[in-house]
Amino acid sequence: MTQLAYYPGCSLHSSSELYDVQCKMVFKNLGIELKEIEDWNCCGATAASKTDEFLAVALPARNLGLAAATGLSEIVIPCSSCYSRTLVSQMTLAADPGLKASINDELSQKIKGDIKVSSILEVLLPKARSGELAAKMTKKLEGLKPACYYGCLLTRFPIDVNVPDDVENPQGMETVLKALGAAPVDWGYKTDCCGASASVNDADQSQLLMSRIFNDAVGRGANCLVTTCPLCQFNVDAYQDAVGKKYGIEKRLPVYFITELIGTSMGFDPIEMQVDRHFVDAMGLLKELNLL
Amino acid sequence: MSSSALKYEAATSTSLLTEVSKRSGQNLQACYQCRRCAAGCPVGEETGVTPDRLIRMIVLGDREEAFNNLLVWKCVACYTCGTRCPNNIQTARITETLKQMAKKSHAKPLIPRIADFHSAFMTSTRHLGRFNEIEALTIYETKTAIKELSQGKMKAVIDEMIGQARLALDMMKKKRLHLGVDKVKARSEVQALFAKAKGR
Repeated sequence: MTQLAYYPGCSLHSSSELYDVQCKMVFKNLGIELKEIEDWNCCGATAASKTDEFLAVALPARNLGLAAATGLSEIVIPCSSCYSRTLVSQMTLAADPGLKASINDELSQKIKGDIKVSSILEVLLPKARSGELAAKMTKKLEGLKPACYYGCLLTRFPIDVNVPDDVENPQGMETVLKALGAAPVDWGYKTDCCGASASVNDADQSQLLMSRIFNDAVGRGANCLVTTCPLCQFNVDAYQDAVGKKYGIEKRLPVYFITELIGTSMGFDPIEMQVDRHFVDAMGLLKELNLL
Repeated sequence: MSSSALKYEAATSTSLLTEVSKRSGQNLQACYQCRRCAAGCPVGEETGVTPDRLIRMIVLGDREEAFNNLLVWKCVACYTCGTRCPNNIQTARITETLKQMAKKSHAKPLIPRIADFHSAFMTSTRHLGRFNEIEALTIYETKTAIKELSQGKMKAVIDEMIGQARLALDMMKKKRLHLGVDKVKARSEVQALFAKAKGR
């Protein structure tokens, strides 16, 4: 078993608990044990960067200190927002030793070393390329035509980051899902914004953004959406019905976490993976395609 | 853009441009108004003001317009503008910076709901060390309702309540509503970071 440090973040401990459960199941089957870092705090998400520059760096920095204390060389962060904020914090601190020292003064577990901060795709992709994912497959994802939805934060950053994928037309999720027999559609809104917290504080705006995403996904013949981000997943799942009604889009698409589809290919029990916890029914399509 | 953007005043212009550049880490003067950012901005149609216009306002020192335009408040921080900018200016960093500056100077935000949401998020995070959906939403909705009721916006308040109650019910049905309270044990450490931020 390989060990990876693991930062679930607040979403995976609340409204997107299913993603936490699925990550652990899928990674375990790939021979990876996720070691959740001790007593982690919220990364500040987009709220910190919109209110206080210091906290936007300092909140994820405390988690980097906790991650360093594990002695492990890599930390995986499934939530795109947590991943982005943590990586940006690490890079900002590397360039600003004064700030790092000032934050370290407050921490019991100091930031040290340079643990690799990875998104879930950075861990899964090598497994797809090496054939390890396919080797664990008991069911081919035939008939599944996902529109892979990356959202903003996997490929675009507030500072210069070496993004390990095409920034405008990423292919990471497609590569993983193709290895499992799915046929991802080509579409234009894969890196467009769902509005994130605007769904709460600027609803008309975020619903307009989501309507464009649904229109294109449906128009391209996708039968589901797939994402790695719990904030994107929640928005395009929970608000899809309301947006569809408002903008005259009839078709509803289940919105899977990538781990749900990998877990399905591994033959995991959908109830154990909590696939029944979606707003737009996500069990029906899997049943229809004989994937359960 | 208001005509005030065209009035150049050396003193104010220098200070706003310098302050925003320094705080955001962006070289605003590198902007040559190619408007590639405007073409990709997902909220540009609704805000009217696009990233290039915002940069121009700041360069020209129009403090009033720079803080009180829809882009600053409705920007979803998708970072599309900055990713496509040929001069590597990340305008979303500028909208973030202007919101931070408005908060620091206790200026009234153009869209209070947006500022109040982020502030409720941070209040909950300071309290528990982790973001608690129920706590943060309660703080935010209460604050918003009080403000909007005092402005006589009864219908907006009722619509919001109904909408949120529906979502909460839906979340409960789908087992997506988390009722437990997750806390950081070493909350004092998180709160020390908040205290340090305040003193800066």
